[in-house]
Amino acid sequence: MSIPNPKLLIVDDEPSVALTLKMIFQREGYEVATAASCAEALRIIDDRAAFDAVITDLNMEREDIGLEVVKAAQQMAPKPVVVVCTGYANLQNSAKALQMKIDYLATKPVDLEQLIGAMSVMLRRRDDGASRATAS
Amino acid sequence: MTKAKEKELVLVVDSNLGRATSLHNACVESGCRTVVARDLPTALLMISQHVFGAAVFSSRIGEEGDGWSLAAVFRLVFPKAYVAMIDRERSVTSLQAAINHGADELFDNNDAPVQVARSVVSAISQKSNETVQ
Repeated sequence: MSIPNPKLLIVDDEPSVALTLKMIFQREGYEVATAASCAEALRIIDDRAAFDAVITDLNMEREDIGLEVVKAAQQMAPKPVVVVCTGYANLQNSAKALQMKIDYLATKPVDLEQLIGAMSVMLRRRDDGASRATAS
Repeated sequence: MTKAKEKELVLVVDSNLGRATSLHNACVESGCRTVVARDLPTALLMISQHVFGAAVFSSRIGEEGDGWSLAAVFRLVFPKAYVAMIDRERSVTSLQAAINHGADELFDNNDAPVQVARSVVSAISQKSNETVQ
């Protein structure tokens, strides 16, 4: 991992899922914040907190509301890696996620090893891109 | 159809000769230059030898060719290029694969090549406008 302690925001209304992801990513060296709803996540993002990555559930206060977290995260500068993690992927929300250019779609039950690996690759790529932009 | 602003190079990879030819023709008619590959080794060679502004990949290349992995490689080499994938059908699994391999858009086998070419041209025009601004 090129960033020493990447900052990660985990958004999930299921406490056990949020806690599991938090523990797993903390063990990998991430600095993790959690939000239990879309509203809470939007407040955190609005407070101009900086994150290297955001993992969000889709169905929280209502169906597919996680896409609002995606939208807000993608407006952050620098843009974090955005991952949607859902047990309710369907044609509509998956097509919308592709259109919104999210970085990764994980379906529950999540393959944690795969997610950690993918996150590491995406963060490295994001870091490389930022370095190139700074150099040019 | 709007002509692509710059004659951007588009990589088309499909082992189906008919579809590869249709995609090539549709892209050329839209004002793009294309390189067509019908197998993985040729596609990888092309990626190492040219600079591409866009690519259209079939998810299955030949018997065992994995178009998804090829898309991921292409995305690593050309992070800002547009990538369209063509899969047998539009499903949650194929949409997920498209996202996770860095594709911008997913088409299925029933989509007309001209529709794919239109998206390629539109993405290229949009990117060159962003560059100008």
